[in-house]
Amino acid sequence: MSDAFVKLSGLTLGYGRTVAVPALDLSIREGELIALLGPSGCGKTTTMRAIAGLLDPSDGTIEIDGRDVTRVPANKRGIGLVFQSYALFPHLSAHENVAFGLRLQKLPAEEIRARTEEGLATVGLTGFGKRKPAEMSGGQQQRVALARSLVMRPKVLLLDEPLSNLDARLRLEMRTELQRVQKETGITMVFVTHDQAEALALADRIVLMREGRIEQLGTPADLYARPETAFAAEFMGFENIFRTEGAAVVSDKGRLPLAAVPQSPILAWRPDAVTVGEGPHEGRVAAASFAGAHREYVIDSALGPVKADAAIELPEVPLGGTIRFDLPLATARGLAA
Amino acid sequence: MRHLATWAILGLTLTFLIGPFLIIILAGASDTEYLAFPPQGLTLGWYFKVFTVESFRASFVLSMALAVFGTLAALLLGVPAAYALNRYDLPGAETLRTVVAAPIIVPGIIVGLALLRYMVVPTGVTVTAALFMAHTALVLPYAVRVVSSSMNNLRADMEEAAVLLGCTRLQAFLKVVLPNIRGGVLAAFILGFVTSFNQVPVSLFLSGPGVRTLPIDMLAYMEITFDPSVAALSALLAFMSLAIVFAAERLLGFSRYV
Amino acid sequence: MFRNTREGLALALPAAIFSTLLFLVPVGILLSEAFRGSAGGWSVQGYIDFFSEPLNRTVFLRTLKLGLLVAGTAAVIGYAAAFCIVNLGPKTRGKVFGMVVLPLMISPVARTYAWIVILGRTGIVNEAITGLGLSDTPLRLLFTETAVFLGLLQLFLPLMIISLVSAMENIPRDVIPAARVLGASWIEVFFKVILPLTKEGLVIGGTLVFTGALTAYITPAILGGSKVLMLETLLYQRVNVSNDFVSASVIAMILIVMSFSANLLLKRIATARS
Ligand SMILES: Nc1ncnc2c1ncn2[C@@H]1O[C@H](COP(=O)(O)OP(=O)(O)O)[C@@H](O)[C@H]1O
Ligand SMILES: [Mg+2]
Repeated sequence: MSDAFVKLSGLTLGYGRTVAVPALDLSIREGELIALLGPSGCGKTTTMRAIAGLLDPSDGTIEIDGRDVTRVPANKRGIGLVFQSYALFPHLSAHENVAFGLRLQKLPAEEIRARTEEGLATVGLTGFGKRKPAEMSGGQQQRVALARSLVMRPKVLLLDEPLSNLDARLRLEMRTELQRVQKETGITMVFVTHDQAEALALADRIVLMREGRIEQLGTPADLYARPETAFAAEFMGFENIFRTEGAAVVSDKGRLPLAAVPQSPILAWRPDAVTVGEGPHEGRVAAASFAGAHREYVIDSALGPVKADAAIELPEVPLGGTIRFDLPLATARGLAA
Repeated sequence: MRHLATWAILGLTLTFLIGPFLIIILAGASDTEYLAFPPQGLTLGWYFKVFTVESFRASFVLSMALAVFGTLAALLLGVPAAYALNRYDLPGAETLRTVVAAPIIVPGIIVGLALLRYMVVPTGVTVTAALFMAHTALVLPYAVRVVSSSMNNLRADMEEAAVLLGCTRLQAFLKVVLPNIRGGVLAAFILGFVTSFNQVPVSLFLSGPGVRTLPIDMLAYMEITFDPSVAALSALLAFMSLAIVFAAERLLGFSRYV
Repeated sequence: MFRNTREGLALALPAAIFSTLLFLVPVGILLSEAFRGSAGGWSVQGYIDFFSEPLNRTVFLRTLKLGLLVAGTAAVIGYAAAFCIVNLGPKTRGKVFGMVVLPLMISPVARTYAWIVILGRTGIVNEAITGLGLSDTPLRLLFTETAVFLGLLQLFLPLMIISLVSAMENIPRDVIPAARVLGASWIEVFFKVILPLTKEGLVIGGTLVFTGALTAYITPAILGGSKVLMLETLLYQRVNVSNDFVSASVIAMILIVMSFSANLLLKRIATARS
């Protein structure tokens, strides 16, 4: 198994004069499920379209399975793409949609039928072949789109925000579905999302993108526990991020002393890493909400708002009440500037 | 009371709009030698007579050919233009749109005269060819507009999906775009056909010996003869248009596109 | 994928070139004809000559007058009819609307010809008048402004009704009952609610009817003849009878300027709203 099944080198992408993605380097292993994560407009779709061949790079190369495909046209590249809008053909039934690409390959009719049925079965749509897209729910349409790409046995399957058009319940269902299909087929998949929970739950590795560049790349556990920049930390749910100055954290609003001088120029705490009910600092409860296993407070402090989760056993502090808290160095994540 | 008023207004309006049409059907069936209404006796004679008038036959064929081939030519030019204007980010798209739509704004009689004077006369193009081009240009704006609006609902990513499944750009257009705008193209054809067939001002100056569109021929006939045959022919043409529109509506919900 | 501008132009240009060569260029030359002085060079003498002739002024004003009159009448009838249509049940509504649209598909020659049957010497109206003994000799009803007016109104009224119906369909459902409940009379409802909310439809319909009436040839030709000339029939006469291309060019310019301004107005209003 080669280490870089898909290899992007110095890939530069843009629209007219504006550069959306400057010099991107990325290696994807065979059989991997990779998430492109990042806020809207950071270049995820652009990157994906370039891999598929729908957008010509202004510089750099794309290699797939050891072959330079930078100049190979989209219809010869052997890459599958599931569009965010599904892009099903409205005049064709589910079966015909799935068979579309196979028919173009002029395969024997029997093989086309068999592979189409198999594809529909893989996504759990056996018996829905005769339906037109308009007669199917969003989730079903999504499955057809998935099957339509899968039956082509692409080297790489790209999925652009595959879950974002589904309602919450279906989204969870499709998450497991996608994972199952990926494990069953062993296909290399790249999916785009702006939802960190989705990326964490699904991906083998996450590519966190920011303004067309890779901010951080790693396993979900890596990214979750060890974000390297403030941007990455914020994305991973570190809601309290402050600069340090000597033995203190500072913000535009003010400063709070720390127990010792920290190593890092920036420190970050998740809400559950903030100690509540005891500690050297004091603040006023600006907002409080009950979240089952814990209580979420927004504490108005000398630093401005601090978000903190308190164990449910602790006595509830009313809105406006005074609350003690600590930002322990031990639970802080140190970040690069 | 409200009901009565509603139907009185609608009744009068519809009578005004449709009544004249019913009148010519009857007038064409009058057994008098001159136009009379109400007819004293009824005959289908005039309805049959129009088929024997040589000039009507010739001009009917010409008008048919102009309407069919002019509209086809307009679609051949208009469908790619509508596609390009929808899909591509073209420099000067607004200008292109205006230029293609211009024939709707310029009164037909002026177009006919201009073509006669600056194309037929100096270049020796035949009147028939000029008629054909004029009718094509006349229908072009409708073709572009109707096809555009049916292409509007068609997302570009469908074509990209087709390409990723192995289609060339042309195949993607033929297999994915065309089937989905078929209704619009057909609607454009019918609208173009009817517009072209009924068109008078453009063809007014573009007529020569033996070359006359049917409506122009009818105008000429009316000036000499007062028998009910023009009424009969008018009624027949109206029926033809209505039949086409009805069939179109039944088959593809024509009115959605117009 | 669709960023290849050259490809897009290759698809769009044939239509644009066709339109340019067959339309813009010949029409442009025709329009320039009136500005070409007899001694070469440019002049507006053609326009001065044209408007100094009383007949031309009469025809110009008549065309304008009939255009406005037809549009105005169509608006009044159109509002009444559209209001009735919008308040019909869905089934009847489709049928009635269909009957309004249908005449548009019928040859204008046929539709205008009907008025000869109605207004002619031996037509319905005259038969009735002489039959009832109101007059011994048939009245001359054809070749009058009234005949042209009726013909044009019949030809273009559907366009107004269609525009107004689609405008009224966009009035939120409960607005009119709400206004009534608040104590507005029907007249107030019309001027304070319906009219402002359908202004756009009125302008669209008005423009279509006005330019239609302006540039109609058949109706003034058949129902007006040389007694009631309008700009289009005058143009035809000037070319065919007197070979006067300067006048033709002036008339062409007037027609284009008038229908172009109407269309511009329409576009402005359409974009102002969206
Ligand atoms: N068709 C386009 N034309 C011009 N700029 C575009 C186009 N599509 C995307 N962009 C720009 O490229 C950048 C990246 O966009 P995109 O890849 O769609 O982001 P994402 O998918 O991560 O939300 C954005 O700044 C966006 O505005
Ligand atoms: Mg995107």
